[in-house]
Amino acid sequence: MSVLIATDLVKRYQLEAQTVEALRGVSLRIEAGEYVAILGASGSGKSTLLQLLGGIDTPTSGSLEILGTRIDALPDRELTRLRLTKLGFVFQRFHLLPVLTARENVELPMSEAGVKKAERQARARELLAYVGLGHREGHRATQLSGGEMQRVAIARALANAPALLLADEPTGELDAATGADIMALFRRLNADGTTLVVVTHDESLAAEARRVVRMRDGSIVSDERRG
Amino acid sequence: MSSLGGVRQLLRHPLRSVLSILGIAVASAMLLDMVMLSGGIEVSFAKLLLSRGWQVRVSPKGTLPFDTEATMPGATTLLAALRADASVAQAGPVLGTAVYARPSWKPDSLVALFGYGIEPGAQALYEVTAGTDLRRGDQDGVLVGDVVASRLRVQPGDTLVVVGRLDPQLAASGIERRLVVRGVVRWLYDYRGQPSIGTVLPVMQSLAKSRVQDPASVMMVRLKDSVSTADAVARLRAALPAVEVRSVEDLVVNFRERLVYFRQLALILGSVSLVVTVLLIGTLLTITVNERLAEIATLRAIGVQRSSILRQIFLEGMTLVGLGGSIGMVLGLVTARQLDAILTSFPGLPAAFSFFVVRPQEVLIAAAVLFVTGALAGLWPAWLAARAPIAATLRGEAT
Repeated sequence: MSVLIATDLVKRYQLEAQTVEALRGVSLRIEAGEYVAILGASGSGKSTLLQLLGGIDTPTSGSLEILGTRIDALPDRELTRLRLTKLGFVFQRFHLLPVLTARENVELPMSEAGVKKAERQARARELLAYVGLGHREGHRATQLSGGEMQRVAIARALANAPALLLADEPTGELDAATGADIMALFRRLNADGTTLVVVTHDESLAAEARRVVRMRDGSIVSDERRG
Repeated sequence: MSSLGGVRQLLRHPLRSVLSILGIAVASAMLLDMVMLSGGIEVSFAKLLLSRGWQVRVSPKGTLPFDTEATMPGATTLLAALRADASVAQAGPVLGTAVYARPSWKPDSLVALFGYGIEPGAQALYEVTAGTDLRRGDQDGVLVGDVVASRLRVQPGDTLVVVGRLDPQLAASGIERRLVVRGVVRWLYDYRGQPSIGTVLPVMQSLAKSRVQDPASVMMVRLKDSVSTADAVARLRAALPAVEVRSVEDLVVNFRERLVYFRQLALILGSVSLVVTVLLIGTLLTITVNERLAEIATLRAIGVQRSSILRQIFLEGMTLVGLGGSIGMVLGLVTARQLDAILTSFPGLPAAFSFFVVRPQEVLIAAAVLFVTGALAGLWPAWLAARAPIAATLRGEAT
C-alpha cells in the first residue's frame, strides 16, 4: 500500500486583493521506505506541498490519502490524531519547548498519545541514543546547540514510530558541517526503514535522496528516481 | 506535570511572571478588602448592639437612639410598662447628657465630659475593668472610663467633683456633686477618646437639669429567650405609641441605608480590582501566546490537540491567579487592619466598631470571584492559541 497518495492538489491564498496560486494541480505518490527530496527555489510551492501532505493545511481542491485514509475532509480532532500517530515533522527552526529537557521534548508526542510514563521515558532515551544525544537527555533545549536541537527534534518526530517523516528545510538554520551530520542521520533513518520526505532548496541536500521531485511555480516539473 | 511544560512555562520570563503575580496580589487584596467593607459595617454594628444580648431599643418618637438630644419624659413609668410586658426579661434606662468635672489640681477649671445615667444591673453600656460597679440607688458613686481616669488622674476610691449642665444665660451651673469613683469601666458605645462617666439615673437627671420630667434618652430591653423579637417589637409598639420601638435588626437596616455610600464605594473599588485582574491576566497571556505562536503551531503540527494547548495556557493563567490571589488574600487581611484603624478614627464612631470584619465566607467569596474572573480572562487567549492556524503561522515564521 502506498503511504501517501496526493491527487491534483491545488492551493490558492488570498493576499489582500490578489489571489496567489501556490500549487497548481500536484499529484504525487510515496511508497513505504522511500527517501524523497522535494527541491525548488523559494516560492516554488514546495513548503506548501509539504504542509498539505502533512495535513497541517487544507487544499483548495484535490484529494490526499495517508495510509488509505482520505484526510482532506477529516475533522480537526481526527486529523490531529493522525498527525500524532502516523506522521513525524521536522522543521527548519526546531521549535522545541525551551522549558523542557531533551528527553521531555521527545516524550511529548508519546504523552499526548497516552503512552505510560515508564514506557515513554525508556523510548525517549532510546531515541536520543539513536540520534547520538543520550548523554544530553537532562539538558534543557536552551542548553543545546543548533545541531543538537535538530537531532532532538528528529527524535521527537520519531517518538510514535510514524509511517512517514516530513522535514521542511531541516538544515536551513545550521552550518554546513552540522547540516551534513543531520543528513547522515536521515540516511541512516531511511536505511533503517523510515519513509522520508525532505523539502529543500539545496541541491547537495537533495542529492542525498533516492528520488528528487523538482518544483517550479507551483507545479512538479520533474520526478527523478536514482539508482 | 503537563507534557507541555506546566507551570514551568511561567519561568521563561520570570520577571514578567513575578510582576504579574504581584499585580494580581494587589488587585486581590483590594477585592478582599472591598468585600469585607461591603458587609463588615453591618456585621460590626449588629454585633456591637447585640454584644450583651439586648435586642430592643426604645427612643423618642421619630428619632434613633442617641441620634439627637431629644429625651423621653416619664422614664420610671415607661420602665414599669416595659417590665410589665410578658416578653421582656429586663429593661434599663439610659440618659445621655453633657456634664463637667473639676480636675483636683485645678479646681477652678472645668473639663467637658459625657454623662450616662443608668440603672446598675439593668444595663448593656459598659464592662467594669477595675474597682466595682455602682450599687442600685447609689447616689454618691460614679463610674469613669479609662480616658477620664487618665485625664483627671482618678482611680477607684478617689473623689470626683462633677458639675451639671451649664446654664447658657448665667454661664454657671446650679448643681455640683462630689462623687466617689467606684470603678473604671469600658464604655461599649463610646468613640475613641470619648471622656464618659456614669451615675445612677436620678443623679444624672439632676445634673442634666432638663425641662423634661424624669427624662431618659433610650430604654434598652432584653427579651426572654423563647420570645420572637419581631412579635415583641410589634406588641410593644402597639402598647407604647408615644415612643419609637426598634429591634436591633431595624437599627441595622437603618444604619445600612445611611451608609449606602460605603457599599457603593466598596462595589466600585471591588469592580475596579476585578477589571485590573482581568486586564492583567488577559494581557499577559495574550503576550505569551503571541510570542509562542510558532511554537504552538509546531505543537499542533506534531499532533497536540487544541484541548491540550487550551489546557496549558489556561493552567498558566490559573497559576498566576492562584499565586497572586493567595498572596493577595494575606495582603488584604493586613491592609484591612490598617484601613480599619484609619476609618474608625473618624469622630463620633464607637471605638468597638469595625469597618472590616474578617469572616471566612467573605474570604471564600473573594477567592471564588477572583478565581472565576481569572479563569474567564485566561480563556480568550487560550482559545486564540488553540485556534492558531498552523500553516499560516509556520509560513509567517519562515518569512
